[in-house]
Amino acid sequence: MSEPLLEVSNLTLNYNLGSRKIRALDKVSFSLNRGEVLGVAGESGCGKSTLGLAIIRLLPRVAEIKRGEIIFEGTDLLKLSEEQMDRNIRGRKVTMIFQNPQNALNPVFRIETQMMDILRIQNKHKLSGTRKRRRDFKQEAIERLKVTGIADPEARISNYPFEFSGGMKQRVMIGMALSSGTSLLLADEATTSLDVTIEAQINRLITDLASQYGTSVLYISHNLGVLSEVADHIMIMYAGRVFEMGRTDDVFGSPRHPYSAALLKSLPGRRTRRNRLLSISGFVPPLDRLPPGCSFHPRCHFAKEMCRQKQTPPLIEVSKGHWSACLLDQKRGRQKWQWI
Amino acid sequence: MAVDLIQIKNLKAYFFQGKGILSKIFGQGLKIIHAVDGINLNIKKGRTFGLVGESGSGKSTLGNTIFRLVEPLEGEILFQGSDVVKMNQTELRKFRQKAQLIFQDQFGCLNPRMSSGQIIAEPLMMHHGQQKSQQEIAQDVADLLRAVNLDPEASVKFPHELSGGQARRIGVARAIALNPDFIVADEPTSGLDISTAATILNLMQDLQEKMDITYLWISHNMNQVRYMSDDMAVMYLGKVVETGPTGEVFDQRAHPYTRALISAVPQVFPGKKKETIFLEGEIPSPINPPSGCRFRTRCPQVFKRCEEEEPPLIDLGGEHFCACHLHDR
Repeated sequence: MSEPLLEVSNLTLNYNLGSRKIRALDKVSFSLNRGEVLGVAGESGCGKSTLGLAIIRLLPRVAEIKRGEIIFEGTDLLKLSEEQMDRNIRGRKVTMIFQNPQNALNPVFRIETQMMDILRIQNKHKLSGTRKRRRDFKQEAIERLKVTGIADPEARISNYPFEFSGGMKQRVMIGMALSSGTSLLLADEATTSLDVTIEAQINRLITDLASQYGTSVLYISHNLGVLSEVADHIMIMYAGRVFEMGRTDDVFGSPRHPYSAALLKSLPGRRTRRNRLLSISGFVPPLDRLPPGCSFHPRCHFAKEMCRQKQTPPLIEVSKGHWSACLLDQKRGRQKWQWI
Repeated sequence: MAVDLIQIKNLKAYFFQGKGILSKIFGQGLKIIHAVDGINLNIKKGRTFGLVGESGSGKSTLGNTIFRLVEPLEGEILFQGSDVVKMNQTELRKFRQKAQLIFQDQFGCLNPRMSSGQIIAEPLMMHHGQQKSQQEIAQDVADLLRAVNLDPEASVKFPHELSGGQARRIGVARAIALNPDFIVADEPTSGLDISTAATILNLMQDLQEKMDITYLWISHNMNQVRYMSDDMAVMYLGKVVETGPTGEVFDQRAHPYTRALISAVPQVFPGKKKETIFLEGEIPSPINPPSGCRFRTRCPQVFKRCEEEEPPLIDLGGEHFCACHLHDR
């Protein structure tokens, strides 16, 4: 029933820093259906945020996309001009919310001014600039605040950002991100700086939007618990590559990649009490000095000779809708990954 | 068997926010922020006491007040029988050897112009500078780095050369340098990756076993507090709403706030949808806390008495206390 809204295939991206070439994304492929939430997880430095920025094409100048396609509603975003991106995609069909709502709002302008700016830009092609339009914009801004659950939006809209709490600022950001035509929302650690009770409210808002308006969400987070609650599908990334992908229940319930299993084991769980947490030794390798073979092998408890020698393990569908990039799993069948 | 290392009795710490000098003189327009408002806690020796609550609930202020980094307005802090609040500078200096603080911001608490070796050596120089030679101190620094699973060669590195996890370890090494009895750990894993956070938790447990340290573990991460602590308290707007052995608190969830807080914690539960209690709105301002029960503006089970009367901590048995009228029969 569901058609893919976004299809990323073989996306490969370098950061060119002088003599160093850092491969931030390496053959990343996935698809996202309408109205679904895809959770992207992984340690810092694994390319999660770069992926989000690549889709909306807000990458820094040193970034260079080597290969790949980002097909969004049938068109390849990488082939569009900057102007086309601005006119149709950025802030309209594809919007992004960031980790720090306090840094994303301008402290010297009223919320009203900032929201109406966005609305004016989103309606640029119909712009006439009459007074009447202004009032319409304000009405729409108030509507959006109401949708995101801000009490008394008529009064609050003329407040300044400092008069809002962190959770409310994030609501304002979501309100700005939602235009009537938004079909893809990129949420990069959108609730990381918020308290759990507020985080739960914001996540409920995001999933409600997904189910009510059919907005698809790429939800980037390092918090596996949050992802488990909001996401339909999960993608685990490591050092710029996709290690595992599948339905949330499959990936978290029976991980096929030892890295996913390790991440789950290093969470202080509900039942574990005073038994040691798993800590994966070492750290994510520098992206310009990746080890040969599977990039995780120096930290992997199960690594065998073939993991070190062979080429990068491909991402293979190991069971229906469940993809994994572990050679051992692919060659020897399902493994248990009993990390100690 | 477990003796109290720290007893906090009716501790109050307010901040004053005024418009200017006139409001200070006449007391007009002066806003009082009730950050810590009458807290009673007993922290047992050799155990971990978890302190949870949303931001703005006063948990960090409480931690700072124990060191008198924030001067308390009222109350007692008994550490091994003597009152920290009444200590003079010399006594306070001695106390601060035995009690240490691990700060929330792992980089902000390290001087960027000092190498990590110098940072760790600083407390040693201050307190043992006369007795020990340079070489002995260098030896101690190397031992401390090893104790936190860092290479002694890391002592020449500056904070900007360290990763988040390494910087946190330097903070831990500095805290244990003087062999303290008590450590306040304020969000010790904030900003760290999952697996790095796990190494810090493991490390701190090992140190506790080896050195018999008592922790006050301040965190908003309920999973972590459940995992680490023996006893815990839940704070809301400067008050303790529930306290007791961690297992009891998590099993019974006597206070509606505790219940909501625990239910809101995202869990990895494949295949199961759990019931989340959504609290409406946000934590009210501590400048004008609500009358009666401070949680009443967001409580799903609020009734008339909550507005009129402030609930005292009610003994539920087994050292488990809860401040809610629902338990008063």
